[in-house]
Amino acid sequence: MFSLDWWGLVLPLCYVVVLGGTFMTFSTIYRKRKAMESANLAPWFPPHLQRNIYLSLLHMEPEGGSEKAPKVPESVVRAALLRRAVEDIHRIIQIRTAKAACSSLLQRGSVGDDLWQRFQRAEKEMEEELRDVVMEANALAPNWGQTIFQSANEILANATLKERLDEIQAQTEKEKEWWEKRRTSIKTEFMKELGDDTEKVTSGDEPVLVDTNTPSATPSATPSGASKKKKGKK
Amino acid sequence: MSDLDTFIQLPLTIDPQSKAISATSSSRALEAELEALNNLHRSLRTLDAPHVIPPPPIPVNPKRSANVSKLRESGNAEYRKQKYAEAIKFYTLGLQMALTRPAWEPTQLVREEVHQLYSNRAQAHMHLQNWPEASADAEMSVEAKRQGNAKAWFRRGKCLVEMGRLEEARDWVGKGLEVEGEEKELMELLKEIESKMAAVKVAEA
Repeated sequence: MFSLDWWGLVLPLCYVVVLGGTFMTFSTIYRKRKAMESANLAPWFPPHLQRNIYLSLLHMEPEGGSEKAPKVPESVVRAALLRRAVEDIHRIIQIRTAKAACSSLLQRGSVGDDLWQRFQRAEKEMEEELRDVVMEANALAPNWGQTIFQSANEILANATLKERLDEIQAQTEKEKEWWEKRRTSIKTEFMKELGDDTEKVTSGDEPVLVDTNTPSATPSATPSGASKKKKGKK
Repeated sequence: MSDLDTFIQLPLTIDPQSKAISATSSSRALEAELEALNNLHRSLRTLDAPHVIPPPPIPVNPKRSANVSKLRESGNAEYRKQKYAEAIKFYTLGLQMALTRPAWEPTQLVREEVHQLYSNRAQAHMHLQNWPEASADAEMSVEAKRQGNAKAWFRRGKCLVEMGRLEEARDWVGKGLEVEGEEKELMELLKEIESKMAAVKVAEA
């Protein structure tokens, strides 16, 4: 009963070990690669400058001479947080507009899977970021978390409107210059035409030129004009 | 998720007197952002004493709206007296008033006020035959309020015609008709433009 044939079992055992080893190495390598890839994915958004400013203000370092870090007044911190919220709103709008396009492109297979992963990561990060801002806002002023994004939204909308208006305003100067040039050119052309007309008129009759030169000097301006007309018709 | 717990420490310094933030390293984006921050801080400090944070967008402080509409009324009065230059001055003041509203107040309100002022100023400019100014004002009015702003669409169209830019005028009025629907004034203007264009073609041929 105990006389097992060990030598006969070597082959199957070897088989099991090799099989298990292959699976293990494969799965570890595969997982490592996947983790590397997702870690190396480029972030969707550039670094969050406003967030960096806000956090830098909270962690001001002492300057060369003094021991204590410079005190940042709360109002500045609040302003910085509001700026951060404005940038967040901007990013949320970007994500919302990109989402539909991104998912339809993915379904059609026009973009790779990593783009979608980057997108989802950005979405998740934005959620965290919003929660963080609301918490910070509530810490700075009671119940500010409920209204900070409303304010930020209006700030962003006002800024975009002003930008557009400034753009149009900036073009006005150029337009004015163009119109000035154009008007003078029209005027000179018009004058030339007028000049041609008078020349035509005067070429026929010499004395009329004297009349047209001093139309208002003499009370007989209208009759002379009338005579000019008549002469022109000839 | 690791970058939610970290941040880049920026070399910021604060002016102890003015509380203005500045950076020792100069990058253009950072400087622009810091300027925006300092501006916002300044306007936050103009808030009335008990408030330290911007109030929610609604309700609005009615003082500024009253001032803006008063300026517009004075402008309209001057306009009726045919003192167009004076009217333009009042409208410009009103615009300044409306555009320097604290940034967190509702945009909808700003757009509403601004589009009327620009449109009226365009009309005054048109009476003075300042076509480029009038056309820019009308365009800005449209930018502030696209729909239900047929007058501004019409005015810019008219200005373009007066400046002899018929192609642009036709495109503009066509766009206006798309937005506004069958507006009588715009339809007439479009007809006028088309007949003018036909006349130009005949003259060139």
